[in-house]
Amino acid sequence: MLTVEQNEELTRVGPGTPMGELLRRYWYPIAFEQDFDDRPTKSVRLLSEDWTLYKTPSGRYGIVAEHCPHRRASLTYGVVHEDGIRCGYHGWKFDFDGQCMEQPAEAENQNFRERVRTKSGQAQTMGGMVWVYLGPLPEPELPRFDVFVQDGVRDVGYSTIPCNWLQIMENSVDPHHVEWLHGYYFEFLGRTQGFEAPKSFQKPHVKVAFDEMEWGILKRRVLQGHSEEDDDWKIGHPLVFPFYMRVGGAGIDQMQIRVPIDDTTTWKLFYSLHHPDFGVWEPQARPVVYEYLWKDEQGRFITDYIEGQDVMAWVSQGAITDRTQEHLGRSDVGVALLRKMFKENIKRVQEGLDPLGTVREPHEVIVLPCEKNKFGAEREFAEAWLTGGSSRYSPIQKELLELHRDAIAAKDRAAAGA
Amino acid sequence: MPDLDDVGTLPPDPHRLPPSGEWFAADAARHLLDRPRHCPMCGASLLEDMHGMSVEYWRADERVFFTWCWSCEWTGEIVKIDRVVTSEPEH
Repeated sequence: MLTVEQNEELTRVGPGTPMGELLRRYWYPIAFEQDFDDRPTKSVRLLSEDWTLYKTPSGRYGIVAEHCPHRRASLTYGVVHEDGIRCGYHGWKFDFDGQCMEQPAEAENQNFRERVRTKSGQAQTMGGMVWVYLGPLPEPELPRFDVFVQDGVRDVGYSTIPCNWLQIMENSVDPHHVEWLHGYYFEFLGRTQGFEAPKSFQKPHVKVAFDEMEWGILKRRVLQGHSEEDDDWKIGHPLVFPFYMRVGGAGIDQMQIRVPIDDTTTWKLFYSLHHPDFGVWEPQARPVVYEYLWKDEQGRFITDYIEGQDVMAWVSQGAITDRTQEHLGRSDVGVALLRKMFKENIKRVQEGLDPLGTVREPHEVIVLPCEKNKFGAEREFAEAWLTGGSSRYSPIQKELLELHRDAIAAKDRAAAGA
Repeated sequence: MPDLDDVGTLPPDPHRLPPSGEWFAADAARHLLDRPRHCPMCGASLLEDMHGMSVEYWRADERVFFTWCWSCEWTGEIVKIDRVVTSEPEH
């Protein structure tokens, strides 16, 4: 349970708020490369502020506050140059740092132009997405987490979710919800609606643990019938502070990304990399992008797949869940640990220090710990992932199923000495 | 448990309470008013300027306050005890 003020401190992401200042120390994906194939600009919203993201003819990306500081027209309807962007309304031009370079209708001998600067950030691409940084300079390195840079077949499911990003993050330190929401409830839906729910998620938790680590919180669990020798406990998988969760197994690796658009909106992405042992695939220039649905035509939540069930749980808590009314139990201690981690890092930022997960050194790849072996049931796990999750909306779902089936068959042949 | 009428007689709390009359409001009042106010390690206020944090959770009959101190960064659990219960080893 939190006070009203504590809840507000942890959920407000706008400029000048404690959490907003912490979150501005990280890079966020905010668009896909293909968004700029037809138009060089795009309006985006991030951390409760509106921005214009643009791409120059030579391929460089820039980001500035959307509204021109002159008369507030949208720069998204501006003219993109190699060295910046020009407002379509009166031609004011801004460089990548937001400095006004030209004011065509003003006299040249005045210093008005030098006094005008608009908000700006840094932008670059990785893994087919455009990433931006809005915090103080010098900006940290964009962390090249394994899923975004390793070879394999990639697809990205996205949707805009009408709730605060923190309640999605708290779901990531709540292992018990898996056996209930994705196990028991899913089985109930299947039984009453005439389909077979995947059994992978129905095993009860025997033991869970949360270890603080250099990237966030490493979650471990022992499910009924398994032991501490299994990958789920021995390796576990991390909540990557402050807005990711890394999951996977059986030749699938996924980064779940929760981009805080504003206090009550989150852009939720499932970035998946399929690279099973013995699998064969063609090189991919960009990931395949698709939108997953979470409400039906009657406005009801779509809960017959894993991520749809999660969305129901996040959104039905309210736009910003009222934590003065919650009743936490022993199984929620991961939630308390995560809140503590946010408070610690708010403090670090206020003291002028880099928060957890800041990368200052150039690097090729950051490999995150994540369980791989799913109790020898790779076939079932991969099938459940691709048919019982948001991948059902992926335009390459069938190809991915074939990739995994062929890989498992090749692995079986190799094991048989064929 | 104090009801809402008693709240005014309790030490002033720097935080707002949920609107009175709402479900759980009286209980929430109690929970906000008797949570730890000072760090058990350094004695710094956990409430002033919202610097500290105590997240309450329940473990059977026990009320556990998962606590973090802004000043000394002590992290630990403070357990409110109404009755000491122990068990005898077999003999």
